[in-house]
Order: sequence, then C-alpha cells, then structure tokens
Amino acid sequence: MNNTQKFFSILAVFIYSAITIIPIVFAIDRLILVSGFNPILWIQSLDQNYVSQNSIAFTFVQAFFSTILTVLIGFPVAWVLGRHSWPFKAFLRSILTLPFVIPAIIAAMGFLTITGPYGLDVRTDESTWWWTLIFSHAWFNIALIIRFCEPVLSTLNPNFEEQLLLLPNGVTFFSRLKNLWIPILTPSIAAASCMTFVFSFTSFALVKWITVRDKTLESTMAEVSSSAGIQGYMEPSSDIVLGASLIQFLVLLASLWLMSFLQQRRQTKWQQASELFVQNKNAKGWFVLAPAIFFVQLPIISVILGSFRVRDVSENSNSFKWSTEGWSEAFQGSYSFPPLSEALFNSLIYSFGTLIIALPLGYILASTIHQLEENNFNLSRILEIYTMLPFALSAAMIGLGIMLGIIKLNPSAAYDFRFLPVLAHVMITVPFVVRIILPALRSFDLSYDENAKVLGMSNFSRFFKIKLPLMKGSILVATVFTLAMSLGEFGASFIVARNSEWITLPLLIDSLRGKPMKDPLTVPSSNAVATVLMLITMILFLIVEKFRNTKDRGMF
Amino acid sequence: MLSCLNLSKKYGKILFNELNINLEKGEILAIIGPSGCGKTTLLRCICGLEELDSGKILLNGDDITKIPAEERGIGLLFQKPVLYPHLTVSGNLSLASFNNHDKVLVEVGLPNFEDRDVDTLSGGEGQRVALARALLANPNVLLLDEPFSALDLDMSIKLISDVRALLKDRSCPAILVTHNIEEAKLFSDRMIDLSKV
Repeated sequence: MNNTQKFFSILAVFIYSAITIIPIVFAIDRLILVSGFNPILWIQSLDQNYVSQNSIAFTFVQAFFSTILTVLIGFPVAWVLGRHSWPFKAFLRSILTLPFVIPAIIAAMGFLTITGPYGLDVRTDESTWWWTLIFSHAWFNIALIIRFCEPVLSTLNPNFEEQLLLLPNGVTFFSRLKNLWIPILTPSIAAASCMTFVFSFTSFALVKWITVRDKTLESTMAEVSSSAGIQGYMEPSSDIVLGASLIQFLVLLASLWLMSFLQQRRQTKWQQASELFVQNKNAKGWFVLAPAIFFVQLPIISVILGSFRVRDVSENSNSFKWSTEGWSEAFQGSYSFPPLSEALFNSLIYSFGTLIIALPLGYILASTIHQLEENNFNLSRILEIYTMLPFALSAAMIGLGIMLGIIKLNPSAAYDFRFLPVLAHVMITVPFVVRIILPALRSFDLSYDENAKVLGMSNFSRFFKIKLPLMKGSILVATVFTLAMSLGEFGASFIVARNSEWITLPLLIDSLRGKPMKDPLTVPSSNAVATVLMLITMILFLIVEKFRNTKDRGMF
Repeated sequence: MLSCLNLSKKYGKILFNELNINLEKGEILAIIGPSGCGKTTLLRCICGLEELDSGKILLNGDDITKIPAEERGIGLLFQKPVLYPHLTVSGNLSLASFNNHDKVLVEVGLPNFEDRDVDTLSGGEGQRVALARALLANPNVLLLDEPFSALDLDMSIKLISDVRALLKDRSCPAILVTHNIEEAKLFSDRMIDLSKV
C-alpha cells in the first residue's frame, strides 16, 4: 500500500466512523442519560408499558412462522426451477425473485389492496390478519430461498446423484435424501431461513400496515421514536427504545454469526457442472411454477390495478369504476400532501446523494480490506467486521441513531438539515457496497495489474484503464443496488424525515394510505405513487440482473 | 453373465446400432474408440442411467432393460472420482457397505485412510477410494468410464495393474471404455472398437 492509498484508506475509515458509528454512540449515550444503565430494566420495560406489551413474543413468533412458511413455499419453487429446464428461464427467475427488491411499503400496499377494505376484506378479521402478515412476509422473502438454493440445484454435477443410484445406500428416495440432498441443501436453506427470520424480525412497513393490534419491536421503536431521548418527557420511551434495540442487536448479531458459519459450510467443494447437463424437461413442474408466479405477481398487479379502481361514492354503494382520478390526486397533491413530483424529486436527490457518498466510500473500504488481507490479515478481519456492523442494526435503530446523534451535535439540524435522510441511507447501503465489491476484488486476476505495472502505467491510469473497466459489472450492481435501496427505504426515513418538505416516495405512500378510508381516492392515490416507485425499482432490478455475474447468483 | 443384444442409441447422429456384447464371469472387456463415438453413453445405457432406443440387456439370463439403475446391481466408476465432500473416506465407503472398510482400503493400497477428508486426496487416491466403494457394493458387473485418463503415466500403469488384479481375484466381470489402446491392452482380456462395429 503506497502513501496515497494509505491516505485514502484512513480517510475512508474516518468518514465511515463519523457517519455510521459516532451517531449511534451519541444516540446510546443520550438514551442512557435519560434511562440510566440497566439493561435488564430496559427489557422489562417492554412488557410493563402498554405501548410495547407483548411485542417481544409477537416479534419472535411471527418471524418464526414467517420463516417456516417462506421455506414451505420457496423450496419447491427453487427445486423445480433448479432441477428442470424452462423456456425463458432467466425471465422466470427474475419475476419469481422480484419481491425481494420491491420496497416493503409497496408489498404492504399490494397485500392491503387484496385483503383490506374493498378487497377481500379479511385483514381486519381477528382470525385472518395474522395469516395475511405471515403470507406477506413469505411473499417478500421467497426470493431468498430461490436465490440461495436454486444455484446449488442447477449446477450440482449430476454424477453425484447418478453414482448414488448405483450404490446400495442410494437405492431408495429417502436414502438419497439423507446422503445427498439434505447435506448439500441444508446450509443453503438454513442460511436463507436465517436471513428470512432477520427480515421478518425487523419488519416494519408490513407490520405497520397489516397488523391490527400487535407490534414488532421495530414498529414499537418507530412509534415511540419522537419522544425517546428527551429528559423529563415520556421517559419510558427511552427504556423501550433501549430494550428493543438491545434485543434486536443481539438477535441480529447472532444471526450474522450463524450466517457467516453457514456460508462457510456452503463453500464445501461440490463439483459443479453446466446447467445444460443438470437440467431436464419436466412439464409437471408448471403445477408448482404457475401458482408461484400467480402468488408473486398478484400483489404487484393489485397495486397497479388498485391505482385505477376508484370507489363510486355518488351511488352510496360499494361499486367501483375505472378512473385516473387517483393518479390526478397523486400528481396534484393537496394541502396535506405534496405532489408526487416533489416526493420523486426528493427521493432521487436522496438516492443520488447516497450513491455519491456510499459508492466511493464502500469501494475504498473494500479495497482497503482486500489490500490488508495480503499484509495484515488480522487487521483486515477487524475492518471487515467493522464495516458489517450496520447489518446488526435495524432500519429503525439506524434512523433513531442518526436522529438522536444529530440532536446531540446540533438540535436544530434534526429539522433544518435537508440531507439528514442521506446519512441514514449511507449507513444502510455502505455495508452492501462492501459486500458486493469485496468478492469482485478478491477474484480480480492480479496478473492484469502486474502486467500494467511492467508496462509503466501509473496507479491512477491502472485504476481507470484496467481495474475499473474489468470491475464495471460489480460496480454497476453496487450502484444500482444503492439507488434501489435508497429509493425504497422506509423504516429509517420514517423516523429521520421530520420536516414535511423532505418527504420521499415511500413516505408519501404511507401518508396517502393513512387518509380516512371514506375518501374514495385514499387507496388509488397511494397505489399510484406505489406504482411509480415499483416501476423505477423494477427497471433498476432488470439492469442488475443483466450485469450480475452468474457466480454471484447466490448473493443479493 | 452379461448379454447386450442389438443395442441402438442415437443423439442426433447414430452412436451405436444393433450392437451385441457378451461378457463372461471374471472377464474384462475394453471398448475403445475416439472421443464422441458413444463409449460413455453405452456404459450409461448398460447401467441404466440412460434409456436405449432399442435392444435388450440380460444379466444372468434375466432381462434388466427396463429395471431402474438403482436396482440393477451394476457398478460404475466415473472418469473423475465422484466422492461426496461432506463425508470422510469411511463415510463415502458407508454408502456401499458399513463393514470391511479397513480390509478394502488395504486391498486398494490405502491403509489407514478411513478418517481422511476426501478433498485432501490426490487424483489417484480419490480414484482408489471410488474403486474401493464400488467393490464394497459387490456389483454383478463393474463399468469403468476412463477412470485412468486423468492420472499421470506412472500412476495410471500402477492403478491399471492393481485394479485388474483386484477384479480377477473377485472374478468380477468388467467393461472399461477408453480412447487409449495401450491402456486397454494392459487392462483387458479382449477389446472392441466401437467406431468399427
């Protein structure tokens, strides 16, 4: 590492610490100032306060059942998709894994349109809203099971199964299950289940809009966020935030450790083969794929159709008409809500602002980790774990951290500093950029760089003429991923965006859907904004799919 | 012992047509021919991993043509040894039988290899473990799909002579397919050139 590289590395670590770690430390300090340092009391306060009662049990139980249902729905799809050949397979894979990149607030709108008032109207029913939530979590996370399992199934050398068929302990289906399929698939299913559990555990938008009564720790934190960290004012809020954060942090940390352990198990060297040799035709697979496609596309189509379906109030009945009034309302705005264009403008500004900071920062951090791996492996491990710390924080925790941290530094900035949401989005996206760029740097063939050195090229020209063009795929994926995550981010923005002029597309959807249901344009206008956000996200997703390295199919 | 009657198979082009093969107990046959002439496909059809277009396969007089691969009792050694990376050497052998691991490992020249991880084995050692496993399954016929081709010359000559001796000791009939005539001569009792039948 030369002096210029050292300078940029130290600068990147400093900026990363200033943006991500310091606000969190300030926030914890402020909350402890109000609550005192008593972790047991923080956790006990969750069940002692009416606002957060039962949230611990509810969070764990719904995450557990969501994970089970996701595996039950996702695994057969992954199996059929991986083991058999299909026409337009890349397209099929894209539409089946689309839900994961759709912002959660859109998923919430889709499921509300289907199951809410003037839909099937089962959401408010005590006996059915629970399953609506569990199914919506399964819908959101089905892509994880497919992304983790399908590449294993579609590229496993068929000789493994053929050899087993010819051995005494591979004769029956159950012996092949025991000796081949369970060992090879368990790490992938467990890793995907672990991530599904985490996402369901920290779910906010879906819980906020679909549950009738209960709350997760994440939605509880978001609800009490405005009164947390203030001395002499609703002090139990600080206890609740600290208790919920502590539990979430421990669960996320344990999940990260488990994920890392399972990822190592996944790397067991099973010989791979081309999909062409592995897959065969099986028309019966459509009995799995067709319902799966219907399940995945239904909420998406419901959002689009729901934006044109307006209740006809003139007849004082529940009849509907097809109209663009919802779109007009969304585009024009009202006294209470800004027009769609303003929210779109804010979202674009925030996402490009996030990109400008997160991409170079994440790239330099990944590059530093990679270079340290050659010279100082222990330091590289420490830095790698340090850059992954935000993974152990949920969106609401990050939002609260940023807000309370900024209040400690400069209270007025919480309402005046327009780019506050960018800080939260940077904190969320930098670890993802590092995780996308680092494997690309590790697999970069050093001989290209060494040959360029021998040819007399400077650091600068080697970077721009050799490294950047060869790594453009990964950089583009990181770029698009950063933009998409920032555009759809809801949990942290919900807490941080205190000023109505900072409203983003997900926040506008949330606000519009919160209008009284007697207004016939409540559902269509919120769905119109959701459609715009969804189309932008889908375009970004298609770009990522085009440039995604086939070896990275098991990644994000 | 094994009779293949009028076997035919085509993949775009005809690979073999009306092919007849007879194999007696303890006999070792080599099938030679250039790459792409259908040698591997023939073995896969005999052990049941692929279906024939037409023809019959008889084992000890019984028609096994429609019997699935897992019920035929025919073993196959692949070109690259197929060892399961989540299992040790002993774990891989257990897929064939839970007994006599130490004995069969001595027979193939790998004593005390029971607890080794399979990804620490060299190419030759891996192929010997795959052979040990195939022998433990006690197959009626053993098919060998160029198992020596990936090894260096010295290693392959040693392994060919060891495997031949083991098969002869057990009177286990075998069919080797290879494109290497020298290898076929060393290993087999007789040869068939698939490109000329």
